[in-house]
Formats: sequence, C-alpha cells, structure tokens
Amino acid sequence: MTALAAVAAWLQPALLAALAFRVTAGEADASWLALGALVAPLVALLAPARRPGATPAVGAAAALAIGVVLAADFLVAGDVATLFGGARWPGVALAALAALAVAAWPRARRLASPALVTALGLLALAPLAVALAAGAPPWTAWPRLALRPTLTFSERSRWVVAGDRFARRTTLRFTEGQRVTALADGVYRVVEHDAAPPTVREWRLAAGDALTLRPGDELSVEAGARVRFEAGRRVPGAPASGVEWADAPARGPDMLPAALGALVTLVGAALVLVPSPRQGAAAAGPLLLLAGVSGALTWGVCAAAAFPDLALGGALPAPLLRLPALVLGAPAGAAVVVLTLGALALLLATAALALRERLAAAASPALELWAALVVVAAAVGMWPLDAWHVLTLGLGVAAAAWAPARLAEGATGAIAGALVGGLTFAALAALPAVAPGGPLWLEALARYPALVAMPLGWLAARALPAAADAGEPVVG
Amino acid sequence: MSVAGGRRTGIIALLVLLAVAPLLALAPAAPGAVRLAGVSLLWWYVGVVAPLLATALALVLLLRDAG
Repeated sequence: MTALAAVAAWLQPALLAALAFRVTAGEADASWLALGALVAPLVALLAPARRPGATPAVGAAAALAIGVVLAADFLVAGDVATLFGGARWPGVALAALAALAVAAWPRARRLASPALVTALGLLALAPLAVALAAGAPPWTAWPRLALRPTLTFSERSRWVVAGDRFARRTTLRFTEGQRVTALADGVYRVVEHDAAPPTVREWRLAAGDALTLRPGDELSVEAGARVRFEAGRRVPGAPASGVEWADAPARGPDMLPAALGALVTLVGAALVLVPSPRQGAAAAGPLLLLAGVSGALTWGVCAAAAFPDLALGGALPAPLLRLPALVLGAPAGAAVVVLTLGALALLLATAALALRERLAAAASPALELWAALVVVAAAVGMWPLDAWHVLTLGLGVAAAAWAPARLAEGATGAIAGALVGGLTFAALAALPAVAPGGPLWLEALARYPALVAMPLGWLAARALPAAADAGEPVVG
Repeated sequence: MSVAGGRRTGIIALLVLLAVAPLLALAPAAPGAVRLAGVSLLWWYVGVVAPLLATALALVLLLRDAG
C-alpha cells in the first residue's frame, strides 16, 4: 500500500468537516483535536507494519468500526442535502452509491491517489478565495476574530436575511433578548429561567409567527425547524466574544480526562485505519495530512471570523458550503461551492476505497460484506444524528476492539484483545443510559471509552502467549 | 540508530508533541492563552509549530527508511 492510499482512510469528509465546524463554533477541544487529527496518523505511518491476517473477532470489530465511520460520512452527506434545502435521503443515497461504485470499479484504485491530491487542492481553494475577496490573508483572520468584543449576527447572515434550517434537534441558550421568527410550522419549547422552578412553555407556531426570548431563556427546536434571527444580536450558543472564542472559558483541568480520551481514541484508531506504507512516495502521506488538517483549520478560522453563526444549525459542512457564497457573492461563491462539493465527493470516494481495503485485510474481501456495511451505514445516515459523535464512536470502536490486535503475539491474543476492548468499550459507552448525571470524569469516560478500553484490550492481547497458535500476528 | 529504533524514538517524540497541546490549554493559569503577535500560544502551537515539527519528523524518518 502506498503512503497516499494509507492516509485516504483518515482524510474523510466527516473528520475534515468536523474539524472546520468545531473551530468555527469555538469548541473548547478544537485545538487539540486538530493537532491529534494530524499527529495520530503520523504515528501510525511510523508504527511497525504487521502481516495482515483475520480472525472472526478482529474481523467483526473492524467491520463494526468501518461501518460506523462510514455512517458518519453518510450523515455529512445528508447534512449537505439539507443545506441545499432538500431532504436527507438524496444526499445519503448518492454517497452510498458512490461508496458502492468505487468498490466495484476496478480502475478506482489507480485513480485514488490523484483524486485525493485534487480534493485537498480544491479544499484549499476556498479559504484562499475568501481571503482574496476580504483583502486580508487567512493568517490575519485569527487575531481579528480574537479581538471582536461580541460575536453577533451579521446583516448579511443567512439566518437574518432568509432564515435557515436546523440540521438536528437543538437547544439554544440566549444571553440577550432576541426576536425569533418561525419560518415553518412547528412546536417551539421555551424554558424561562427567571423564576424557580423554571417555567416551561410550548408554543405551536405557524410560519411567520415570532417568539420574544429574554436573556437566560432556552429555546428547543426540532430537526428541520426553520427560523430567522435579528441582525446585530449575539449568536445563541456561540462564544460571547472573540476572546471567548480564542480561549474557551470551559477549558480547565477538569477537561483533562476528555482531552486524553479524545487523543487516545484518535491515535488508537489511526493505528488500524492508517497502515504503514510499504511502497512508493513515502513523503506524500505526511504532506497530504498536513495539507488536509491545516486546510480544515483555516476554513474554521475564516468562517468564524466572517460569520460566527455558521455553526448554529448543527450541520457539519455548513462552514464549508455556506461561507463562499456569503463572502464572494452569487456567481463566484456558487462556483467555489461546486468545487468544494466536488472535493468532498472525491474525499468520500477515496476514503471509501481505503476503508474497503482495510475491511478486506481484517475481515473479508467479499463485495457482499462491503455492500451490507454500506446499506446499514446509509440507514443510520438517514437519521439526523450528530456526525461528529458517530465518528468518535466509530474511531473509538477501532481503537478499543481492533487496535489491540496490533500488539498481539498471535491469533489467541488478538481475539482476547478484541473481546476485552470491545466489551469494555460497550460497557463504558452505555454508562450515561445506566447512570445519568455522573461526575465530569465519568462523562468523559462514557464519551471516549477507548481511554480505558484500549489499554485493557492491549493488556489482554499481550497477556496471551503466541505458542498456542503458531504466532502469526493479526492486524487487518 | 537502527530503523526500528529511529521510528520508536520518532513515535515517542510525536506523542510528546501531541501531549503538550492539552497541557498548554488546560494547565492552571492558562499558559496557552498568552498572546504572541496577536495569536495565543496554544494556537501558535497547534496551528503552526507542532504540525510543522511533526510532519518534518515523520518525513525525515520515512524518507530515511525508504532510501
């Protein structure tokens, strides 16, 4: 496998869109996630290669992880469809067809490397175009944004001009008064916190009806709800100011378990999704990873600096697909959006091809297995789930149940590692359902179960000697 | 240094580079919030310094082993 093909499974639409989105939204973990998204596959490229093999347990773990990661990509495709005003299913169906087509097309493998390079080149184009239009280079966006006293709705914001749609069920907390106009019939739930206990009101609004929210109020909207906000008001749910965007107040030592969990998840997943290259163009892998992750980071900063409300609707590709039209205007912006869509489609195709190769090595090369995974992932993609949470779930399964096989001395160890890691992962992931409202470290553990599940899986994999099973390491 | 030894050292160096990011962000007194030329130390680190160092390190090791 070449270095280019090795990194294709990592540079997926869901990961790059999620990075850009989290930077735009000013999420507290965006900084170390971005670095983790780059360093984790670099670690994997340097890690010693193992001969591929397959056992049912490792194969099942690999199939589950790849299926969930693929579902995250399909969720992004569904979000893309909703951003253009349609239903989720056409986007998901097109993405699923593309994932099936590249796997069945014999020439696709030869075209994967140039397709990946083209996709990353196209993705870099838009921030450059936006910077040229704004007359300021991308590296000045960060300091400009960090100095803004408030992050408010621009008069040119889509949320203000025509209104926009929420990709999934969302609860917004308002820090200042705001008049919200419903653009579609629906139920809007408001929690007023000005008295104890809080007052809960459910409003059934028709298109054109307005709600007046006061500071401290919470508004819950269903997936697909369309609303319009007032210009000049703070963006609910976004950081209050540029300083808060740059240095999230939520950051503190309490977040350390979640940060470690995220980084362990990324490194563990990369160890199995990004195999060590065995031939050709060794330099290409790290350079493409740097280009992809830096591009996503630049997108996020440019989007937040221009329109901090781009993350409001919860659709991961919104910063990528909304920003060009808002900054460049109709004809040029539309062209850049088309190119960005092309880049996302190429990334999906190359990632699908690479994931299928990983599946073939770990479980089975049968096209039927790939087709079944694509169908299941597409079914998941039809629901308005958060693609980032689904992606971290898939990467977590890969880290906890699949990665321990890398350390196993033989098939027995690989099976033990997969079982111990997988079962621990499942138990920890189910914690919020069993015991809701736990302490912060327990929440972090439930969100990133690989933090505990992967080391336990590795211990189990190493504990069993190779003598009993001829000693062939099993990685996939 | 052998190929395996060099790579092992490289992996440790990469993991150290990675671990510094949450430490900068989450340490008491927020050292990552210090501004240099208008940009916080944390973002200089995760956006410029660490990515370039990590990529250069991986490139050197991969090219050395391929050559």
